[in-house]
Amino acid sequence: MEAFGLLLHGFAVLLTWKTLALMMVGLVLGIFVGVLPGLGGPNGVAILLPLTFTMDPTSAIVMLSCIYWGALFGGAITSILFNIPGEAWSVATTFDGYPMAQQGKAAEALTAAFTSSFIGSLVAVLLITFLAPMISSFALKFGPPEFFAVYLLTFCSFVGLGREAKHKTVISMSLGLLLAGVGMDTVSGQLRMTFGSSELLRGINFLVAVIGLFGISEILLTMEERLALRGHAASISLRVVLSVWKDLPKYWVTLLRSSFIGCWLGITPGGAIAASFMGYNLAKRFSKDPESFGKGRIEGVFAPETAAHASGTAALLPMLALGIPGSGTAAILLGGLMVWGLNPGPLLFVEHKDFVWGLIASMYLGNVVGLVLVLTTVPIFASILRVPFAAVAPMIVVSCAIGAYAIQNAMFDIWLMLGFGVVGYVFKKIGIPLAPFTLALVLGNRAEDAFRLSMIGSGGDLKVFWSNSLVGSITTLAIVLLFWPAIEKVARRIL
Amino acid sequence: MALLLSAPAFAGWEPAKPVEIVVAAGAGGASDQMARMMQAAIQKNNLMKQPIVVSLKGGASGAEALMYMKSGEGDPNKVLIAYSLIYMLPLSAKIPFNWRELTPVSVIALDQFVLWDNSAGPKTVKEFVAAAKAASAPFKMGGTGSKREDHVLTVFLEQKTGAKFSYLPYKSGGEAATQLVGNHTESNVNNPSENLEVWRAGQVRPLCVFDKERIAYTSKVTDTQSWADIPTCKEEGVDVQYLMLRAMFLPGKVTPEQQAFYVELFHKVTQTAEYKDYMEKQALKPIFLTGKDMVQFLEEDDATNKSLMTEAGFVAK
Amino acid sequence: MSQTDLEIVVDDPTAPEENSPSVTSSGTVEIIVCLLLLALAAILGYDNWRTGASWDSTGPEAGYFPFYLSIVLAGGSLYGLIAALVARRGAAETFVTRAQARRVMAMFVPTLLFCLATQFLGLYVASFLLIAGFMRAIGKIALWKSLLTAFLFTAIMFVTFDIAFDVIMPKGPLEAAFGY
Repeated sequence: MEAFGLLLHGFAVLLTWKTLALMMVGLVLGIFVGVLPGLGGPNGVAILLPLTFTMDPTSAIVMLSCIYWGALFGGAITSILFNIPGEAWSVATTFDGYPMAQQGKAAEALTAAFTSSFIGSLVAVLLITFLAPMISSFALKFGPPEFFAVYLLTFCSFVGLGREAKHKTVISMSLGLLLAGVGMDTVSGQLRMTFGSSELLRGINFLVAVIGLFGISEILLTMEERLALRGHAASISLRVVLSVWKDLPKYWVTLLRSSFIGCWLGITPGGAIAASFMGYNLAKRFSKDPESFGKGRIEGVFAPETAAHASGTAALLPMLALGIPGSGTAAILLGGLMVWGLNPGPLLFVEHKDFVWGLIASMYLGNVVGLVLVLTTVPIFASILRVPFAAVAPMIVVSCAIGAYAIQNAMFDIWLMLGFGVVGYVFKKIGIPLAPFTLALVLGNRAEDAFRLSMIGSGGDLKVFWSNSLVGSITTLAIVLLFWPAIEKVARRIL
Repeated sequence: MALLLSAPAFAGWEPAKPVEIVVAAGAGGASDQMARMMQAAIQKNNLMKQPIVVSLKGGASGAEALMYMKSGEGDPNKVLIAYSLIYMLPLSAKIPFNWRELTPVSVIALDQFVLWDNSAGPKTVKEFVAAAKAASAPFKMGGTGSKREDHVLTVFLEQKTGAKFSYLPYKSGGEAATQLVGNHTESNVNNPSENLEVWRAGQVRPLCVFDKERIAYTSKVTDTQSWADIPTCKEEGVDVQYLMLRAMFLPGKVTPEQQAFYVELFHKVTQTAEYKDYMEKQALKPIFLTGKDMVQFLEEDDATNKSLMTEAGFVAK
Repeated sequence: MSQTDLEIVVDDPTAPEENSPSVTSSGTVEIIVCLLLLALAAILGYDNWRTGASWDSTGPEAGYFPFYLSIVLAGGSLYGLIAALVARRGAAETFVTRAQARRVMAMFVPTLLFCLATQFLGLYVASFLLIAGFMRAIGKIALWKSLLTAFLFTAIMFVTFDIAFDVIMPKGPLEAAFGY
């Protein structure tokens, strides 16, 4: 148990008053940026990165990773109470979290979200602890065909397992894929769909689209009804927490499945967004009562949150072990490592043991402290709701604009956000699902690049997607999921 | 207080707002790392009163950053950390950009290119070329971006050796490095910094460096080798040379005082321990050019790149 | 005792009437959206076809996937169009009532003006105007409360982003007058 000894050493490095104080500061800042729609994890961490330059690397990474935990926790608050996902991967949390809040079960939903974040992260941290030293070789098995297979799996699970009218899902997904392609095509170096505009050159940023689709459109929808806040108040009492925790064992399959999906997609790296959607869809698929999803079922909160956070945490593993950031936030942390003079890669584990194990230990401590902190401070953050909507609405609009602008420092993105706000409003009202659109917008480019690199590598031979057992099994699974409704029907008839 | 006291006294203009270092690449890439090194060097040594922020504009393979600088005419609070894309992108993608519209500040480093293969692959350039020629499917060459420096080098390697390569354009040098380690490609032409870690871990092997002379750094990087131990490609019989500039630019139409401030600032940066340490760690060639020298260098470099791009057939019609 | 299910309902003097007449039906909007998507698909499809949408020796060209995606989008929209036209003969579902439309516009127009103001006056001034104006005009909140809230919120944002964390927001003449 070499890892265990090293971990204890990590805790020893960590347990000083200064480090603990940094953790608290980081967590509070993190929850704050997580709650603000559109600011979120990657941006929050990026914005706060310069604060750490004068610190020693261990303190710096502890503070940054705590900001990250805080943002992860904070993202759930706005998703559940306001139906505004603070983070892209909280989108799936809104599906059942918001209905729960509407039914007056906001505290349960929040407790479920925080608890499952905690469980997801914990599983991933355990995985990192024991896998870190040996992960390098596995992650290296992923070439373009394997990456493409994973993306395909994500898309197929969406179409195959989705419940909306198929043509509307198709419209939504193809539109997302098309918009993802705007800008420069990496493989050929050619511009496409930019129509000579230098604003379209950089492409359509996914976060900007999300802020518009979910933030602005929700404000418009809310206005249609009474000018009352559609958010929900929640103060979490110990009783609620305990009652949710008591029920936890009932959902162990969901929790375990989502943790597994999350860790897998975090390492591979398919990302937390894909993980949260897959976690949600699979929970729905395997549920005895899939119809109750989307109407405020607690499992619909457990599944995506566990998966997203397992994935977000697991994404740090390839970042540390290989220098491949598995997520946007991991990419920012990677930049941080280099500023502090550390080179990520397999050797990091040999040369900077203090740093690596200090970080891993801080993941454990940060999670525990974060869970307690977030459970006790929700009333403070929820108190935003006591402000009249006529004051909150313009403030949300301003926060959205700040978020949209800060991503690329572009005024054009504020207009884009407004445009997506209108699109989101209309789509929601005529029943075109937005989730496939956002998923396609995020993964579209990467999937296309992976496909085309596979083709260049194989000389145009599609058999490359079955060229070894790893890629073959993922591709086959993807196709099975795509045709799942048909397969299910046939299977029922035979049995 | 310490900050106020030690802040250097400049006679002329000084930024009144936070200064943005514009990076024409994604997070974690060589430009980003360099920008963050400079940010740290400036902040730690109090070289400037205003804070400095790194802003990543890697969209459209860096074209985003170029258009951003172009539109920032007259704004002295944006500095671009440029590399060969300033010559190549306008040619390959017909981006309406010309580096002459920006204000040159200084060239701060030159970056090398090295031919790498997997440590399980051929051990010398000759064996590598022979294996590439003998292979039934063309060898896969990883690189960053399409119709850019890595791609150009691949085309020239093909011309000089007669071997065929399939060029795989990845999004970053880091990705190209791990894909080589994972045996998904047979080789890449990464900058030293991009392959440093995997080299130290013994997973890749440097075959030759695309320069007239060997890299100067002689301290050991791996157990047995230093940067200086890598032969030049010419020594190994493949006469291909390419160096890439790392230079700072301001937007167009800034005042001479503003330009002078930044020339001075980056000159000071090149004197810091952070810069020197970074140069050695990443095996960059130190250089400091400014004023007329810099413009002359840029013109020559532009001509070289243009002829390479034309020969490789990468200029869009 | 948990206070979990308190939905905060604020006084709402301008709530939309229940019996407000319909402006348009969902079916009509669906038809319009499908037509717009068809047009978009046609434009993007053409542009991608121009870029090159064939499958050459090294796999698909830059326009290949987007071109076929445009066709898929066009197909989906066409199906939606026909479905909406067929369904139209049935009972029309209300997309939005007149009172609702007025309210949505009461949010959308200020947001639009805010974006416009941001472009010329900078984000902070625009934000102050939006919050104060909206609270006063739409929310009918006391003027001093509106102005104070708007000022405090804008100031906090300014200190957090521009001063504390160096996230530079678009600025206008007012900030310039103060040297920012």
